Amino acid sequence: MTGMIMEVKDLNLWYGKKKALNQINMRMKKNKVTALIGPSGCGKSTLIRCFNRMNDTIDSVKITGEVLYEGANIYSPSMDVMKVRTRIGMIFQKPNPFPKSVYDNIAYGPRIHGTKRKKELDRIVETSLKKAALWEEVHDRLNDSAMGLSGGQQQRLCIARALAIEPDIILMDEPTSALDPLATSKIEDLIYELKRNYTVIIVTHNMQQAARVSDHTAFMYLGDLVEFAPTREIFENPKQRLTENYITGRFG
Amino acid sequence: MPEKLDIELRNIKKEIELMGELSRAMLMDSVTALRDLDIQLAEDVLSRKETLYKMDQNIEEHALKVLTLHQPMAKDMRTLACVLKMITYLTRIGRYGYDIAKVTKEMGGKKHIKKLIDIPAMARIADTMVDDVMQAFKTEDIRSFEDLEERDDILDEERYSIFRECVTYMMEDPRNITMCSHYIMIARYLERCGDHACKIAEKVHYMVTGEWVEIS
Repeated sequence: MTGMIMEVKDLNLWYGKKKALNQINMRMKKNKVTALIGPSGCGKSTLIRCFNRMNDTIDSVKITGEVLYEGANIYSPSMDVMKVRTRIGMIFQKPNPFPKSVYDNIAYGPRIHGTKRKKELDRIVETSLKKAALWEEVHDRLNDSAMGLSGGQQQRLCIARALAIEPDIILMDEPTSALDPLATSKIEDLIYELKRNYTVIIVTHNMQQAARVSDHTAFMYLGDLVEFAPTREIFENPKQRLTENYITGRFG
Repeated sequence: MPEKLDIELRNIKKEIELMGELSRAMLMDSVTALRDLDIQLAEDVLSRKETLYKMDQNIEEHALKVLTLHQPMAKDMRTLACVLKMITYLTRIGRYGYDIAKVTKEMGGKKHIKKLIDIPAMARIADTMVDDVMQAFKTEDIRSFEDLEERDDILDEERYSIFRECVTYMMEDPRNITMCSHYIMIARYLERCGDHACKIAEKVHYMVTGEWVEIS
């Protein structure tokens, strides 16, 4: 497990009677970006949601197998779900800032985790916004409503909000699908920066994006993990016919 | 979109096959012109240069357009990478034909020192090598690459043997120097054509398998 931060072992998931994930096995390296690609309904969002137990909120979901985070199964009954989600943050498709000020969006997490001192919160807000490459754009309007920011800024704000509670892993579920190319490019640059300190797992429909930002790529189809390899290999010389067909746009 | 990309790739493949035929014909016709000191044929080869350059330019533009508009992946990307290198090698091969034709024209009125046997033999080996790699590009069957290095070695040896033979002729009679220096240059061109065939084979190998190999 050297260098590995997360390991998925024999993971299966059902929505009621419908099986959505089929015997998934994969290992994610620390400080690397892993991209999950595949056609709609292949299970990539379901899989990424397993990584911080977001599927727990859906009643009909049944999960077997293990997801080991630093060697411990996050699905073990003794695991504190809150702690899991603190260490493994998530960014969604649509930016979802709280209807509060920029400052309060970032300070929200640290506050509920017990940080009360203004000075400390100021520091967290500033460093988180800097890490999310947003500080320069918003430092003079921290008390304005976050809803007034552009879509791209809102998404970086959500990333800053996730960073404020110092996670290890950041999960991103199609983080740029609602953004224009310029805002997308900023988020992609940010992902590149983030991997110095964090591990990133990203679901994307944009193949070029996966090729640009990730170190490893997993191709999923109908709930199966078809191929998982270094990104260059997947896009230059995939081993599975199914992967080749998908990335060259021949089905899907 | 993939159908559109497939059509584009098929067209590019056809264009490069035509370019391969033109390059080979320029090379082989120039050697025939040289052997028979046929000035008319040499001039005919010279006149094909513009078409060769146009093909090089058109295929490059076409490949770049497809890269930009379709952003192909995997085998599609490898095919275009292969094509973009192939046009350079094929231009070189056709260009050597042009150079040989030019020399032939300059020889006008002169006679060969002896019957030309080794140079046409070298040309046939080089031509078969180019033909094989072009066929492999078309069919994606790369089995013919197995003895390509061996054939390239034969070309190297032939060139050296022509060089040594020419040196003796030149020592015998300095009046042979002009013709012999042409023969030495031409042997060098043909040997280079073998090298280009090997380089094309490397690119075709990459296109077919995704693996880099060295064939030289």
